[in-house]
Amino acid sequence: MENVSMIFCGLGGQGILFMTKIFARAALDKGLPTLGAETHGMAQRGGSVVSHLKLGPAASSLVREQTANFLLALEENEAYRNLPFLAPGATLYVNAETDVFPRKEVSPYMEKQGITYHAFPAQKTAMALKNPMSTNLALMGFFAAYENEPFTHDELRETIISVSPERFRENNLKVFDAGFEFQQ
Amino acid sequence: MKQEIFLGNGAIALGLMEAGCQVMTSYPGTPSSEILPEVIRLVESENLNTYVEWSTNEKVALDNAFAAAISGKRAACCMKQVGLNVAADSLMSAVYMGTVGGLVIISCDDPGPHSSQTEQDTRFMARLAKIPVLDPATPEEARKMAGLAMELSEEFRIPFIIRPAIRVCHARQDLAWDKLMNNPKKASFEKDPGRWAATPRFRFILHGELNKKLEAIGERFSDLSDINYHNLEEGKRYPLGIIAGGVPFAAIQDILADEKRDHIPLLKLGAPYPLPKRLTDEFMEACDKVLVLEETDTLIEYLLGDNQKIFGRISGHVPSEGELLPQVIFDCLNKILVELKLEPFTGKGNTGVTELVQDLGLPIRKPTLCPGCPHRASFYTIRKARPKAIFTSDIGCYTLGLNLGAVDTVLDMGAAITMASGFYHAYKQDGVDQPVVATIGDSTFYHSGTAGLLNAVYNDARFILVILDNLITAMTGMQPTPGIGIRADGSKGKAIPLERVIKGCGIDFIKEVDPYDTKAMGALMKEATQHVASPDGGIAVIIARHPCAIAYRGEAVPERIPVEITDDCTECNLCLDRFECPALYHDETLGRTSVDQALCAQCGVCLQICPEGAIVRSAEA
Ligand code: SF4
Ligand code: SF4
Repeated sequence: MENVSMIFCGLGGQGILFMTKIFARAALDKGLPTLGAETHGMAQRGGSVVSHLKLGPAASSLVREQTANFLLALEENEAYRNLPFLAPGATLYVNAETDVFPRKEVSPYMEKQGITYHAFPAQKTAMALKNPMSTNLALMGFFAAYENEPFTHDELRETIISVSPERFRENNLKVFDAGFEFQQ
Repeated sequence: MKQEIFLGNGAIALGLMEAGCQVMTSYPGTPSSEILPEVIRLVESENLNTYVEWSTNEKVALDNAFAAAISGKRAACCMKQVGLNVAADSLMSAVYMGTVGGLVIISCDDPGPHSSQTEQDTRFMARLAKIPVLDPATPEEARKMAGLAMELSEEFRIPFIIRPAIRVCHARQDLAWDKLMNNPKKASFEKDPGRWAATPRFRFILHGELNKKLEAIGERFSDLSDINYHNLEEGKRYPLGIIAGGVPFAAIQDILADEKRDHIPLLKLGAPYPLPKRLTDEFMEACDKVLVLEETDTLIEYLLGDNQKIFGRISGHVPSEGELLPQVIFDCLNKILVELKLEPFTGKGNTGVTELVQDLGLPIRKPTLCPGCPHRASFYTIRKARPKAIFTSDIGCYTLGLNLGAVDTVLDMGAAITMASGFYHAYKQDGVDQPVVATIGDSTFYHSGTAGLLNAVYNDARFILVILDNLITAMTGMQPTPGIGIRADGSKGKAIPLERVIKGCGIDFIKEVDPYDTKAMGALMKEATQHVASPDGGIAVIIARHPCAIAYRGEAVPERIPVEITDDCTECNLCLDRFECPALYHDETLGRTSVDQALCAQCGVCLQICPEGAIVRSAEA
């Protein structure tokens, strides 16, 4: 496998760190070198939060602009904000209604760069399952429905099982599965 | 051998424990806060006997670690970069005296800044104090440097500083590690007043000793082929070379690899001070021009001192503020390649995406106090009760009281109180009784509130001091405070109630209130105002006590009160502007304010603030 660079973004409190942790753990379990960067501190109180993750050999934990293969955005505006990170041919997953994403101003750019996108109302899905704080898991499930690299659905699901604290495990899987099964 | 993903701060903790660190002290501050909890995690899982404490402030932390080190033990002390300012007094003196066991000070920098009041460069503090400093590029290297610093500190009998930047502290990396062992070294302090209590005459001698040590360490730094090295080819000349340390070194490595330009020579300075002169001379000699990439300031540039040859901040080629993100470095270097008529990078031309995103007018995401945060209720009431006051505040979550118009100044730890007395006297001198309300958190008060309060009482300043006591150090990740008497490892310590400390500072008016009850707190603000104004009154202290909504989820909201908004809402926006709960938002379709039930903590405080009574308790649980 080539090196893979990922960006996770959203607002403080949406569980970006947890999402990053799942992917990093899945990489570890596969024996891939992992290096990532996170936001802690002030921004965690509702500000813009971005995590970087590199799988495969790298020196710097930060992803340079136009070199990320995937962007997972828990909020629509944060997806736009982090668009410059995406490499030509990259793929974007976003928590947003399918009929509003993307804004018409950005479509030509995404088309020109060959950026594929998949929008999905992850927050609504999590809310419907009475887990409003699990938008991140819904989006991960949705991601797993499209991608086999860098991780398969089963690999991600296994990691969620091993990383989730016991009392959240069942709910986490429920939301992850709902994201995976969405519109399939 | 175990393989595990460590946070950079965890990697530092691991390095310290591998080096047999026996005493570890700290005061929390982003980006350093996780080092000590990670030490505790290792101490527990590996059954180590390392002594660990959250100290009341950074100076206290350093003094404690220093005493352990001069009794022969290996000790470490960690803090954020501005915390090192608090510890500066000890730092300057400790390096003259030297050490016996290893003493490693970890001071974490915050280029950006992301979560600090300055972008100051710890390496300059090291230079000022004449302490050797190491600058890691990755978590793995930070771990290695922790061990190296401990050894060199012991060998040269001098404290060492490690300066990880935020991108090391909050990076994650997989590391392999093995069982950890206890260090059997016992404390044995050898009296030597000429050193440990040196008078100025002896200090002169100690200074000479220190200078000799630094010379020897500079020599050694030229030989540390792991962290200070270059890839020059013997006898070759280069039009351009790059000197880099810390996080920018990692970024430039990736860029040169991505762009297949590894023939541009690189000198890594993982140990920049004392300068490894042999290495830097070789490198400067072989290159016509040299780009220096370092965070956050110009230490290497100053130490090299050759302004003709160097591209950097002084020449204007590298930005003087903000992080050296990979893209920033890429652009700097590319510009220099063009300027020197060397082959520019092939990677991406300007795609216009930055401008495209800028033009979208995306909302700026200000951090806000959490839904259900007791500080919000306090600030709302304070501002309502004393709208004309100057509001001095302090460092913590409650700095975000800015958004509610109830914070006018934030200088440094403890300045809510010292600036309150300063404002009072400045106005008083003109015969004006300017109301001042100071707000400070519980942990910040223990850190550096008392000296300012003693001073204010002694000099008869008059203001209201509201201590926002949420029973935790929230901003930095929920560390316990002396007020609740729980220690770093979760064991029981002696609780020192705020009331006792405040009384000891000479305050007569001390009253406690639950800020969720805005009426009661409003009444108390009135009472406090009278006390401040009365001739035989003084400073009035209100302790607004309510647990942090995040640290104490259940207890913070003892009765869940679901709320909704009725059509009586006139869109006055008071609740959005003056109260600013993230769960309240303007609903375009309904044409009024609405509650985001996913965010709402059901604290019920907003019921007390709507002038139209449009926020009501809803039936559904
Ligand atoms: S973490 Fe606690 S103190 Fe900080 S904003 Fe949230 S509720 Fe308030
Ligand atoms: S009850 Fe009101 S103040 Fe409390 S969190 Fe919900 S909306 Fe905010």
